[in-house]
Amino acid sequence: MADGSAAADCVMTARLSRRALLTASAAALPLFVTGCKGIQALGTPPPPPADVRTLQAAISAEEAMVARYASALRLLTPAQSSPYSAVGSEIAAYASAGAVHAEHVAHLAQLRSRLVEPPGAKPAAHPPPLSPSSGPSPVAGTSGRDAVLGELAVAEQAASDRLIGDLDGLPSSLAQLFASIAASEATHVEFLQAAGRGR
Amino acid sequence: MTSASGQAGQATGSQQTITALQNALAAEQAASYGYGVVGARLPQGSAAQGTAGADWVTHMRARDELTAMISARGGQPAPAAVAYQLPGPVKTAADATALAALLEDRVAQAYLEIVALPESGLRNFGARQVRAAAVRAAAWRGSTQAFPGLPASSLRS
Repeated sequence: MADGSAAADCVMTARLSRRALLTASAAALPLFVTGCKGIQALGTPPPPPADVRTLQAAISAEEAMVARYASALRLLTPAQSSPYSAVGSEIAAYASAGAVHAEHVAHLAQLRSRLVEPPGAKPAAHPPPLSPSSGPSPVAGTSGRDAVLGELAVAEQAASDRLIGDLDGLPSSLAQLFASIAASEATHVEFLQAAGRGR
Repeated sequence: MTSASGQAGQATGSQQTITALQNALAAEQAASYGYGVVGARLPQGSAAQGTAGADWVTHMRARDELTAMISARGGQPAPAAVAYQLPGPVKTAADATALAALLEDRVAQAYLEIVALPESGLRNFGARQVRAAAVRAAAWRGSTQAFPGLPASSLRS
């Protein structure tokens, strides 16, 4: 039976004109495309669980912090006109911000390592790399440097508070990571303020 | 009404809470003892000695708070040891400063156990104590750490 019907189909196909075949192919195309899209054709996928959204938000915030420090480091770059022209406080401020920047990069790496994205998921958007030639020029004078460090300290305190506020509902190990990063960011506040004082 | 398994779960959770609080209490008791040594080795009347005195009071208050929290949950707070083994000789101001930073690191690590508990209030309390200990440790050390209180083994490469 099966062989017979298959043979009949072949026959039918053989009898169709070229025009009819092309028309049928065009009509079937959207169906094939829909089939390839899979679940998206049936509806939007469910939103990620709350803890995943919290982690994604923390990753975005840490990415913003890393970018903020990259920008600040350009502003704090000691004067380049002479190797001896930069004063100690300029170098100290730049070194302090650089050390804290490195810790934020480490925070970001740990946070990203905890996010398991399903295969085929759209990768998270990362901020574009900052080219050394772009961006603002170094700040001049103590007041400009203090302003940059002061803004960083305010951002650090806010980030620390936000992480502690987000602990509810997180798995234990992720809550510990959030708390540790929040603690680290709080230490940056004092550290930056001390750098601003030219310690 | 709760099922037998539910009661067992509550008991386990409660025991986990008591254990985490006891570990934090032990760290605070050790810190209270250790700051006595720290203060004795710092220059008399110096700002650093003043800071050590303030931190010592902070740890004694935290010790009392944890004692009350354990009692309120039906636990028996463990008493402090008569004396503690120091990690090394503390003969100079630099030794004392290093000891203070180490005490704070251990306190931060102990409070992270409380952060791992599911209870919202305790988790928040633990996180704020980790933060306070990390800030004190950074002040003593003169530098910051990326992951205060977290053992390196818990970090992913």
